[in-house]
Amino acid sequence: MGEEKYKVILDTMPETESRLEVLFRQAGDGFLQVEYGRIQRAALQDSFRMLAVNDIIQDKKIKGLIETVPGLRTNLFHFDPEVLSLKELMVHIKEAEDSMPTVDDVVLHSRLIHLPMAFEDSETKKAVAKYAKEVRPDAPNIIDGYNIEYIALCNGVTVYEFKEMFLGTDWFNSGGGFWPGGAFLWPTDPRCAIVVPKYNPPRTWTPEGAVGIGGPCVFTYTTPTGGGYQLFGRTIPTFQFAQKHPIFQNGPFLYKPADRVRFHEVTEAEVLEIYDHVHNQTDYEYKIDEGKIVVKDYLAWYNSEKVQAGMKALKAKQAEGVKKAPRL
Amino acid sequence: MLKILNGGIETLVEDAPGRLGYLGKGMAPSGAFDPVALGLANILVGNPPGEAGLEITGGFLEAQFGMDTVIAIAGTDMGPTINGQAMPMWESLAVKEGDVIKFSHIGEYGFRSYLAVSGGIDVPPYLGSKSTCIFGSYGGFEGRKLAPGDVLQFGSPVKNKKDLVGGKLKKEALPVYPREWILRAVPGPNTSPDYATEEGMDYLFSHSFKVQHTSNRSAYRLEALPDSFFARPDGGVGGSHPSNILDHGYAMPGALNICGNTPVLLIADGPTLGGYMCALSVINADLWMVGQGTPGRDYMKFQVCTQEEATQARRDRKKLLSEASLA
Repeated sequence: MGEEKYKVILDTMPETESRLEVLFRQAGDGFLQVEYGRIQRAALQDSFRMLAVNDIIQDKKIKGLIETVPGLRTNLFHFDPEVLSLKELMVHIKEAEDSMPTVDDVVLHSRLIHLPMAFEDSETKKAVAKYAKEVRPDAPNIIDGYNIEYIALCNGVTVYEFKEMFLGTDWFNSGGGFWPGGAFLWPTDPRCAIVVPKYNPPRTWTPEGAVGIGGPCVFTYTTPTGGGYQLFGRTIPTFQFAQKHPIFQNGPFLYKPADRVRFHEVTEAEVLEIYDHVHNQTDYEYKIDEGKIVVKDYLAWYNSEKVQAGMKALKAKQAEGVKKAPRL
Repeated sequence: MLKILNGGIETLVEDAPGRLGYLGKGMAPSGAFDPVALGLANILVGNPPGEAGLEITGGFLEAQFGMDTVIAIAGTDMGPTINGQAMPMWESLAVKEGDVIKFSHIGEYGFRSYLAVSGGIDVPPYLGSKSTCIFGSYGGFEGRKLAPGDVLQFGSPVKNKKDLVGGKLKKEALPVYPREWILRAVPGPNTSPDYATEEGMDYLFSHSFKVQHTSNRSAYRLEALPDSFFARPDGGVGGSHPSNILDHGYAMPGALNICGNTPVLLIADGPTLGGYMCALSVINADLWMVGQGTPGRDYMKFQVCTQEEATQARRDRKKLLSEASLA
């Protein structure tokens, strides 16, 4: 008995040059969670490698595997135990893991999606005003009727610098979930790693296309919903229930795990015109480049003196900003 | 067809097992909250067990049939009547064009009733399922609960209606609805010793938890856990509370999420990913019981189960939801 009683780590794989220790955790009847490392850490290289392994597993077209749900450092496998046994599934995952023994082997298929967006648009301003009126009139994250000043304040930078940082990095999708079509987007450039607290309490309404940040993640709201991320602008549709536009022909979702998103600034009028061309005229052409992430190259760049120095400089500014910004 | 006169508290079009394969896209499976009651009602009217029917929560649905057909009601006894006459549950019966069916409130035991119609409810499938996701407002009938004036179409019956009338179930196929539901569950992924104390896990698997009033189709909230449940002082990079964890996918439906000190069963329309630890998962074959658990009245108790037992229970349930259950 003792520890054995609620034992859920069914098997492990040792740490290698390219990855942390792998833990196979029992996660229910028909579910298995694969976790990387015993210590929780938020590091993009863990996600890159995990998604590369996930691609290999998906390509195997394993009978009885219903789906996988990648998080940042875990992958949840959903399967039909009447068709595929837990044991067989673990053998498949181990084979995929073993096929990438060194970091040189880790190359991830990753599309680059270009999204136009307008900062400080009127729709997301309406959402903030509604929150101030109906939920929390004294919310300290609302300055001049909006959240963008507060975002800058928390990070010890100006609004202009915040915008430069947001546009200056690609945002990596570690996987979707939580809300239909949503993606959790992380900055690939650590020099642009803005961090902000989430709303307290949350909003009751956010417009489609709102762009927000909560903790270290950026989220583009797919449909009107509540939410807790600090708002700073609006982008074009990334989801379409009706699947009328050709890009949504095979599913209402734009994002796939491992996609990178690069935002560029346009006017609010342009964003609104694109809405018409996506939802009504269905002739807007999304700009998506095929691409890949070579993890070895990414790590070399990430660890370079220039990037590390920039990251440290931002962290110092953020430490000062946190002291000045009011708590939520 | 069926014309809705009163939608009641919450009546939804649901099938089973719902919309599978979209957890990573943020879409819950939805589906009938009690797939056993829906499944048995479907078997009685000659449908496949997962065919779409009406899920009636709380009661007070009133509707008029626009054609002759064969129906069956299963689940909690809401005192259903046809043209004011009490009608039997758990058996198939013929209804005529113009007949009015009416439900009262929930019965002594159980919480949800299911109405199955020969041929099923004909709504366009969305991403492979006719289920309504009420929290996302999609699927089913226009992504919402039914309202007066709505008209539902029926599919084509698979079997001759005459052969179906008067169909009954074997006694042993009828589910029993207690006030305290014993749910078999597989521990994990976050248990003792790293996330919870062994004492805490023992408590989780022995305490009888009252179902909270705030429960709904996305979350069944249970009584709070004591602080001694947690093995960690905080959630590390996941957050300040020891129930916090870096966001991970949820084993939906069935995962028991620990949100602060509140254990929350994620079911039907629940979230598919988030930042709270999960201590156990109710096995697939027992999930129907959660759907019959009455908020504010019933209790839930967890019982440790192995993967092998869970898989066997799936096979047993498949047999239950087949013609083998017809008397």
